[in-house]
Amino acid sequence: MKTNTLGYKLKQYLLFAGLTTIIFGSVVIVPFIYGLYLTFTSWNGVSRNKPFVGFQNYANAFADGGYWQSLGRTFFYSAIAVILVNAVAFLIAYMVTSGVKGQNFFRAGFFVPNLIGGIVLGYVWKFVFNKALVELAGNISSGHVKSLLATESGAIAALIIVSVWQYAGYMMLIYVAGFMSVSEDVIEAAKIDGCTGRQSIIHISIPLMTASFVQCLFLTITRCFMVYDVNLSLTNGDPYGSSALAAMHVYNQAFVNKNYGTGQAEALILFVICAVIGGIQVYVGKKGEVQA
Amino acid sequence: MRRKIVSLVVGAAMALSMVACGTQGSEESVAQNTATAGEQVADSGAGASISILNSKTEIQTQFEEMANEYEEKTGVHVEVYNADTDTTVASQIATKYASHDPYTLSMVDPKDIYAVADEYAYDLTSEDWAKNTKLGITVGGKLVGFPFCVEARGILYNADAIEKITGEKFDPTSVAKLDDFQKLLDKLVQGGMEKPVGILSEYWSLGAHWFPMVYEEQQDPDAFVKSLLDGSGNLMENEKFKSIMDSFDTLIKYNYAKGSASNADREETSMMLAEGQIAFMFGGNWDWSVINQYDYTEHLGMMPVPQNTTDGSNFNIVGGATKYFFVDSSSDTTDDQRKAALDFLNWLVSDADGNAFLTEKCALVPAFENIKADKLDPLSLSVKTYADAGNMIPTYNYLPDDHMTVVGQEIMQKYLDEAMDRGGLADAVTEYFKSATPIEH
Repeated sequence: MKTNTLGYKLKQYLLFAGLTTIIFGSVVIVPFIYGLYLTFTSWNGVSRNKPFVGFQNYANAFADGGYWQSLGRTFFYSAIAVILVNAVAFLIAYMVTSGVKGQNFFRAGFFVPNLIGGIVLGYVWKFVFNKALVELAGNISSGHVKSLLATESGAIAALIIVSVWQYAGYMMLIYVAGFMSVSEDVIEAAKIDGCTGRQSIIHISIPLMTASFVQCLFLTITRCFMVYDVNLSLTNGDPYGSSALAAMHVYNQAFVNKNYGTGQAEALILFVICAVIGGIQVYVGKKGEVQA
Repeated sequence: MRRKIVSLVVGAAMALSMVACGTQGSEESVAQNTATAGEQVADSGAGASISILNSKTEIQTQFEEMANEYEEKTGVHVEVYNADTDTTVASQIATKYASHDPYTLSMVDPKDIYAVADEYAYDLTSEDWAKNTKLGITVGGKLVGFPFCVEARGILYNADAIEKITGEKFDPTSVAKLDDFQKLLDKLVQGGMEKPVGILSEYWSLGAHWFPMVYEEQQDPDAFVKSLLDGSGNLMENEKFKSIMDSFDTLIKYNYAKGSASNADREETSMMLAEGQIAFMFGGNWDWSVINQYDYTEHLGMMPVPQNTTDGSNFNIVGGATKYFFVDSSSDTTDDQRKAALDFLNWLVSDADGNAFLTEKCALVPAFENIKADKLDPLSLSVKTYADAGNMIPTYNYLPDDHMTVVGQEIMQKYLDEAMDRGGLADAVTEYFKSATPIEH
């Protein structure tokens, strides 16, 4: 049987990926194109009329100071969160692969935060920041202590802390897989050649784990840029709207302020920014990958 | 050859299952679209089937029970959908219209009515209940909004907590003047209640409930908002702005959460009022659903915001109908369904069971003069007392959509935290109005 004809390939494709393609098309591609179309209208969200307005929504989006502020905030938040998440994840991955007692228990334990949904997590941490920590700090310093969530920079810091706590466990798993994939032979050879433990991590393990880094960075960057759930339940933009990240601003613009077109245009800009950053990062990362 | 047959069989099986899925799906959607037609046959003429979107999610259980009883009595099948709290009511209605499967009756906020009035709202002008209310919404000469319940805002008080310290009976009218209110607060502080006031820090409370009183208590709210929109209005020189913000300053001074005021927790504040740890809190009768979760004392109530004014507004609470029903007028709803929906609205107003559902089961303040309601919770009773006496200033429903987030969160929260002074507040609000999009009405 000929296996290199177009017909055969098409059949094979449909057989194995046909259903997924249809689902992907109907829940991702079609809404995306429809959303793109909506950015050129001044639809109020309910009406059957969708008046065409050209690039007005994009003009509004570019003129929306609050949007760019929230985007700047998102860059700041993401930069710090991404570095911290990966640093913490790498360290605990190293710890739980170095053969400490009960390492499987630790692996499971660190992963658990990732199983709690973002909304619940936000409420739990809100309680921790507003009640538990305030009470604790009050006892230590015997005076009224402001909650972290009550100050502008504190609210962003709280968001970062919670994100690190939430994602580090997940990224740890990927780093653990990376550590496991580094062959014992190479490490042993390095040892025989006189490598110290630290040297073998920096010069042997890390270069061989580049794929893990690329993956983790991509996941954390995109997640941080799109974060909404934790933002909603932990701070909801308080205080003074100073902790509203880009996704929240887009949602409020569209559904609270009822500017669907502008909100949709802002969402699209956010998407393009994410896609570009994610793309560059993966491209650069892939180039640096080392084959063992 | 055998392999080919196997792969053909597998392929055919998959294709079949996909087709099966497909038809099942489409049958379902057809069934949903023509739910009425199908069920009408099933009920063999006993009545139509209507769908209701309930956006007061706290009364969903009562609504469902009512739907069952209503069907037993009238034969009309009522399907009640609980609005999703993750997203706005408007977007849920939009979804249903986009799929040509609209709710027969939708419960929405007053502002939403204007967005749907022209295209989707049925004219209710000739309905029997129309003469019993002044709160219906009319758009372009058509009565399109059925007022479902009345809600109002003011200062909530715990009379037991006050009387325990002062030793005399608390009369809200005695503190209508801000100066008198201040004296009472000082007395409470001396009596051991260190911080007698709670202020909710949520942006909807500050931006959609407190600050709008500045507009609502003007002689002509519409003209005043328009003057702000076109830049000719001057907040700092406006008497009402001064008066309302003076009162707010007093509340701030005695706020139990002073220091981290913008981080006050709604649950905690409501609990403190319920249990009498604080005596006053700005809010509305909807706060009862939070307060009654706690061990509340007996004598709670609502009073107007105290002000040093002579215009009488300090004897009025601010309120109006906050939820409206509109009946779908599109061709996706049959005439039978529409008739059933109209009957349902009449039942709410003129049938004893309908009245009981509103006032007793759901504990709502009715918007109709002919409905008696004496079993309401204390806050709603206060509202009804003020409403019946005509001491209610109507809510202003045409503030720009982002007023709540911008003025509430970005501006008023700062003021509440004392991170912004009066002049800064006035400037920020004036600046906001310059770029705000007016609501057509």
